[in-house]
Amino acid sequence: MKPVSVVRLFALATATTVLAVAQTTNPFANDQKAVDVGRGMFRIYCAACHGIHARGGLGPDLTRGVYNCGELDADLFRTISQGVAGTEMEGFGEALPAESIWRIITFLRSVSSVGTSSPVKGDPVRGKDLFWGKGNCGQCHAVNTRGGRFGPDLSRIGRERSYEFLRNSVLDPSLDISDGYRTLTVVLRDGRKITGIERGLDNFTARLLDSSGNFHSFDKSEVTSVRRETRSLMPDNYGQILSATEVDDLLAYLSGLRGEARKK
Amino acid sequence: MRLRILIVISLAVAASGQDTGWLTYGGNDAGWRYSELKQIDTANAAQIVPKWIYQTKLPGSMETTPLVDGGLMFVTGSSNHAFAIDARTGKQIWHYTKTPPKGLALCCGEVNRGFAKIGDTLFKVNIEDHLVALNAKSGNLLWETEIADYKKGYSGTVAPLAVKNLVLVGTAGAEFGIRGFVDAYDANTGKRVWRFYTVAAPGEPGGDTWQGDAWQRGGGSTWVTGTYDPELNLVYWGTGNPGPDMNGDVRPGDNLYTCSIVALDADTGKLKWHFQTTPHDSHDWDAISDPVLVDLNVGQRKVKALIQANRNGFFYTLDRTNGELLVAKPYTKVTWASGISAKGRPNLVAGQDPSEEGTVSCPGLGGGHNWQATAYSPQTGLYYFGSTDGCHIYYKTKYEPIEGQWYQLSTVDDVKHEPASGSVVAVNPASGETKWRWEMLDAPSGGMLATAGGLLFTGDRYGYVIALDAGTGKVLWKFPAGAAISAPPIAYSLGGKQYIAVAAGSDIITFGLP
Repeated sequence: MKPVSVVRLFALATATTVLAVAQTTNPFANDQKAVDVGRGMFRIYCAACHGIHARGGLGPDLTRGVYNCGELDADLFRTISQGVAGTEMEGFGEALPAESIWRIITFLRSVSSVGTSSPVKGDPVRGKDLFWGKGNCGQCHAVNTRGGRFGPDLSRIGRERSYEFLRNSVLDPSLDISDGYRTLTVVLRDGRKITGIERGLDNFTARLLDSSGNFHSFDKSEVTSVRRETRSLMPDNYGQILSATEVDDLLAYLSGLRGEARKK
Repeated sequence: MRLRILIVISLAVAASGQDTGWLTYGGNDAGWRYSELKQIDTANAAQIVPKWIYQTKLPGSMETTPLVDGGLMFVTGSSNHAFAIDARTGKQIWHYTKTPPKGLALCCGEVNRGFAKIGDTLFKVNIEDHLVALNAKSGNLLWETEIADYKKGYSGTVAPLAVKNLVLVGTAGAEFGIRGFVDAYDANTGKRVWRFYTVAAPGEPGGDTWQGDAWQRGGGSTWVTGTYDPELNLVYWGTGNPGPDMNGDVRPGDNLYTCSIVALDADTGKLKWHFQTTPHDSHDWDAISDPVLVDLNVGQRKVKALIQANRNGFFYTLDRTNGELLVAKPYTKVTWASGISAKGRPNLVAGQDPSEEGTVSCPGLGGGHNWQATAYSPQTGLYYFGSTDGCHIYYKTKYEPIEGQWYQLSTVDDVKHEPASGSVVAVNPASGETKWRWEMLDAPSGGMLATAGGLLFTGDRYGYVIALDAGTGKVLWKFPAGAAISAPPIAYSLGGKQYIAVAAGSDIITFGLP
């Protein structure tokens, strides 16, 4: 229906309010009808962040059978119902009746494939060296406290994205550009061209951060053109710079990034 | 072309001297959203400044059309809130509120689009699909009537339409397995006078366009206010998508009277004619956009016309006496139909229905033009509306309905690297030709207001309130209000000064000349 992403609006909707009950087993486990309903509910409430096929987007890939907040059905129920503090995952316990949450979990179990995603072939130790050395990935990407802040933080990327997604992102970075990292090019009246990460664009103004970390703000009426690019600012030649073995090594490192252990 | 305006325009002149109010959702019965005020014009629009801001402190983005009468502004907010404000100072006079019940089934938030007013009584729907009457001076409740049971998926967001002593309302809920309708209630008692179901039952005219019991969950919401022709005594209302949305497999047939414009006898609710814009809709292309009434010269013929920028991407001009199609022209990219036949039926393009693997089709789910209020200026002869220009990937699923729960069976995703843009479109309603188009970054969110000052006011999702030259589309003024504009502006005058008011986020901002 309306502005923003339609799907996102659906996700914001307030539907039947039945508070989540403290149930720990899924009453619809392996029920094919529940899988179908759950798929429909997932597409309405979850797909905006987790992707239409649950393979991730703004939020983690949910088809890997590996979840950040616990692997049990009860953990998934709690996560969907209450959200995850400190993340963008909101709670849907007010919007969704418990039965609908269980049906969504039933759907997720039906598309989860623990241990069947592409095997990680490379050597993560060599991959780490490539990340900080030859690949120069750390110039733009951070892992925990180290690295640049121009590109997305990769500290937990191994939990959030599938191996296939990471492979595509390394070899064809323009295929799926993360929200908040779109490329904006502004051509000034004197012919100068400034390209950077979009930090704001509307019908009258544009803002971007260039690769040196400088912030720029423009009135569209005072420049020659403002253009959103479909290409990522990340280099698209890693397939040439790195050998096939090196790509595997780098992916092995990225797949193993799960975030620093929490201090007690 | 020169237009002869035959419609009786009820100029919104309030009781207090020469002050000019805004008395109905659509500005007049015909839904023009046109103000005769011209103190603010193309020459001085650049000087407009904010005069006052009223903060409702409510969550969300208001969709209300404020009413102004007798020096007071009446606005409805989200979650059953409503306010009366001193239209000169922006100070609150009263605040009505009623806590919504738990268990609401809503597609799009606890929004509300405004009041209707008869004499000293205000009428609004509450989100649980109740109709309430309030005393305009005090905000006190006069009566409250249940329109439909929210536990079955019904909800209320529409601004009522006052017709004589009747209060007409529609309902929302087609994503939750409802059967839609238009209702009329006695303004004094709140008793229902008539109901027209927008989904025909077996045995009724149109009932053969459904199979089995699909009609019982047939949708056909009526969530945007209709219009009224007092000469013909007909009410015109647009109807929404059939249910379940976007998967037509379980409801074979045309699914009358969903995605249609219906003409109803104002006194009885009897159907005079219907025009279905999207038979057997599978893309959520409601026909709920303002059905605006204008008198036109179409070719050599003088016509009492009804015009609508439909969500399916086509602009329609109909003869409002009988529903005959006069003009149908795309105003944005359309891939699902190659055109509209002389009888009004779309010439379908194969392979455009939602599918399991996803089907790219244009326009996107929200249209084209969606619900946002439109404007018609008799001064320019142009019709103004916002358009989302782009496509979606439509996915189809299938499952059994659960009462009061989402029954949509589909969703959409963005087409990668093809973000939708938007535009304000000015169309000549006699020909369907686009006169000008102001291109925007993405989907327009605010409604339209045309004025005799030669201006078109609107707002965007980035929070800009904008004034354009109604004749050319040139931007003459903008103000960054700080919150998305999801509502249409209105115009009024007090003490000889013209004001423009609009909801920005959950605030009301009023502008004027310095």
